[in-house]
Amino acid sequence: MNTSKVLEIKNLTKNYGSRGFQTQVLKGIDLTVNKNDFIAIMGPSGSGKTTLLNILSTIDKPTQGSMMLDGKDLTKMKNKELSKIRKDKIGFIFQDYNLLDTMTLQDNIALPLSLNGVSQMVCIERTLQLAAVFGLKAHLNKYPYELSGGQKQRGATCRALITNPQIIFADEPTGALDSKSSKDLLECLKLVNEQGQATILMVTHDAFSASYAKDVYILSDGMIRCKLTKGNDRKAFYDRIIEMQASMGSDFS
Amino acid sequence: MSILQLAFQNFKTSFKNYLSLIVSLAFTILIFFNFQNMANSSTMDILGSENARNIEIIMQAITFVLVCFMIFFIWYATNVFLAKRKKEIGIYIFMGLTHQKIGQLYMIETTFIGLTALLLGLVFGLVTAQLFMMILMAISEISVPISFDLSPASVFITVAVYLAIYMIFVIKGYINIIRSSVLEMVSATRKNEYVQEKSWLLVIKAILGIAVLGTGFYFAIKEGGIEVMGNVLIAVVLVVIGIYLLFGGLIPLAFQKLARHKFFLYKNERTLWINNIIFRMKKNYRTYAMTAVLMLCSITALATGFAMKNRYDGIVHFRHTYIFQALSDKDNLYEILKAQIEQDNDVIYGGKIEILQLNEDAVDSRFNDTKVLVSYSQIKDLAESVGLDFDFEQPDENSYINVDQLHLMSFITDISSETITINQKTYHIQQRTDIPYLGYFQEMFSFYLVNDNVYEALSLAGDKAYIYNYQISNPNNFAISKQKLQENQNGLGLVSMDPNDNESEWIKVLYSVCIFMFMVFVLASGCILFMKIYNDAFEEKERYLVLTKLGISENTLKKAVSKELLISYGAPFLVMAVSSYFSVHALAKVMQTELLSVNVTSVLVIFVFFVFCYFLSRNIYLKNTGIQSHRKY
Repeated sequence: MNTSKVLEIKNLTKNYGSRGFQTQVLKGIDLTVNKNDFIAIMGPSGSGKTTLLNILSTIDKPTQGSMMLDGKDLTKMKNKELSKIRKDKIGFIFQDYNLLDTMTLQDNIALPLSLNGVSQMVCIERTLQLAAVFGLKAHLNKYPYELSGGQKQRGATCRALITNPQIIFADEPTGALDSKSSKDLLECLKLVNEQGQATILMVTHDAFSASYAKDVYILSDGMIRCKLTKGNDRKAFYDRIIEMQASMGSDFS
Repeated sequence: MSILQLAFQNFKTSFKNYLSLIVSLAFTILIFFNFQNMANSSTMDILGSENARNIEIIMQAITFVLVCFMIFFIWYATNVFLAKRKKEIGIYIFMGLTHQKIGQLYMIETTFIGLTALLLGLVFGLVTAQLFMMILMAISEISVPISFDLSPASVFITVAVYLAIYMIFVIKGYINIIRSSVLEMVSATRKNEYVQEKSWLLVIKAILGIAVLGTGFYFAIKEGGIEVMGNVLIAVVLVVIGIYLLFGGLIPLAFQKLARHKFFLYKNERTLWINNIIFRMKKNYRTYAMTAVLMLCSITALATGFAMKNRYDGIVHFRHTYIFQALSDKDNLYEILKAQIEQDNDVIYGGKIEILQLNEDAVDSRFNDTKVLVSYSQIKDLAESVGLDFDFEQPDENSYINVDQLHLMSFITDISSETITINQKTYHIQQRTDIPYLGYFQEMFSFYLVNDNVYEALSLAGDKAYIYNYQISNPNNFAISKQKLQENQNGLGLVSMDPNDNESEWIKVLYSVCIFMFMVFVLASGCILFMKIYNDAFEEKERYLVLTKLGISENTLKKAVSKELLISYGAPFLVMAVSSYFSVHALAKVMQTELLSVNVTSVLVIFVFFVFCYFLSRNIYLKNTGIQSHRKY
């Protein structure tokens, strides 16, 4: 397997609050994401999952530590450059889809690519291609309000993938979906990951979702407590995750 | 916390959001108050009672327009308040407040807003009252001492009218809240779901719109007789409907077609702004149509003002062709009268003409005015001796040339069917001229210029008379000669022109009021668009936040916003510019004057103002949507 590093985090800390009343949310995180990884980060509420993802996706800034994406240190960049990094190198999947309700699904998917100045032919081709993979071909001309949650989230995933980003950050992608839609989406994510099209980092509290990943990191109290790696069997992996949760005892939600 | 306190709290926190609406409301109050104040002011009395009555009628007409305007504004503002409130109201419902209590909350809060606007409007109205008057008088070129008086009546009328309208709409809102279901209020938070309208509906609207607008334009420029007035009315109604259908049909249809054409859409920022326009157009098309109509009104008002002024100047010039005119049945008075005038004044030019005053029973006509025949060669001689243009051919024996007066307005634009029947023989009009050969008399009688032979043949159908015309070098010194001429015992009908006569001063006031209305309407339409965009920006905030999260650069978003707003301002402007050509053209015909330059200038003025509004809007939009303000991360 190709092991070139995509993202490398070293000793990442994040404090909130003003002087004297500071809470340390992240207490020194080290994490390396290689190409074609599918990582899930789990943890109870308050463990710092969202903070970590916000920092990774350059929406928030760390207090300390370094974060290298594709060989560049993101912590030292200006907003404008970060914006460009987000546009070119990172794909996002949000819990609440964040599709624009003013345009059709196809326009939503094509949006990042068309704004990048890619030729129209390529845009159209790519949207059709991705829509086929995600089973959305029949829905391309619909508006988000005409789609189910699962369809919307698959659409959002297509949008994240269309620019061929270095890494995809998914924040509780199944959080608002029913179990059938969740399964469909995760299967799709797994598929594009296995086809070598995407490196995925997913934050979730759901053991079922996490079991689709190749590696699961469990975050607790601002630190990574342990790492579980999937074997061949997803079911067995799921059981191990549940066991781990039980042993840690804290409140997963 | 009592309802009153809660309402006041809400009012305080939302004050900034509603500022634009409050300012616009205050602005309407200011204008309304100033017009009231002016109508009631003593300054107008100086123009004389006759003029004052004319002006009062104009002021009443304008008051009516302003009341309509105020109704619309308040309706719009209270609707915005209600829509915004409904979102929060859903939450109150879950807290267990009754509909009535929430309704009261809304009423109290909205009343606060209304009263604030009223207070602002009145205070600024009082401050600007004199300025307003001074500007108006300056435009009118009327020099009257302006007395600074504020009539309590105008304050009272303004407050009463405003509060009455405002309370009606507040109560309407209250009823709306009481009647609405919980579900409806809760879901008011949800976003507008339908982005596109049905295509077939749009196609129908678009076709209908073009047809209606085209018919309207046709009626506006169609030549006609007395029915022109009706045509103009039809045109106005059709154009207004047409513009609404255009914004509700053709324009969204065009953009939807563009959006469906992906090869076109996926280029630059088009995906963003074209989709946004489709979305906005559906919600805002009424506003766009209204601003287009409002601007059309403003240009027409301005053109009316200029046309009135042109005609007025024309009429003054017309009347002043001769300072003295005498009508007599004797044909030997020219030198006698001239000598009399020259005792005190220099005669620059003058001339005598023979006319034939037709007997009533010899003529068969629709109108009962005094009809006078003049012969071709007589007029030609007169024109030569006084130096007026004369380039007519001798009319044939069946036709005549109508030597007409200047009309302030004439609704008949097609003259080809006019005839006159004298002694059972019908003569057709060949041409019409308003060159003042016969000076003031041309306004008193209807003159028919006929072939010399016809004139001779009809000489028994009426009584011969002579008109003596004189122009003097110093018109201001006319009084002394006038007195001497009046003492003349030759049975004269004497007419003399007073150059300082202020009989028509009211036209000047009308002219300046028209200019003022233009400014008010243009300001208002700019304000409406500005307010709309200002409010929309808050709704768009979330969308732009998503886009920034996706890493779309500030620059890209700015470009998309610029294009979107350009359409918001550009579409009403373009529609207005095209329509104004027709409306002003129609007006120019009715007023028989050239108005193209007024049209072009006013469109340019609006253009400049809109460019200013556009840039202001754009900057504020970028701030309100959070694109420009620096993000905290």
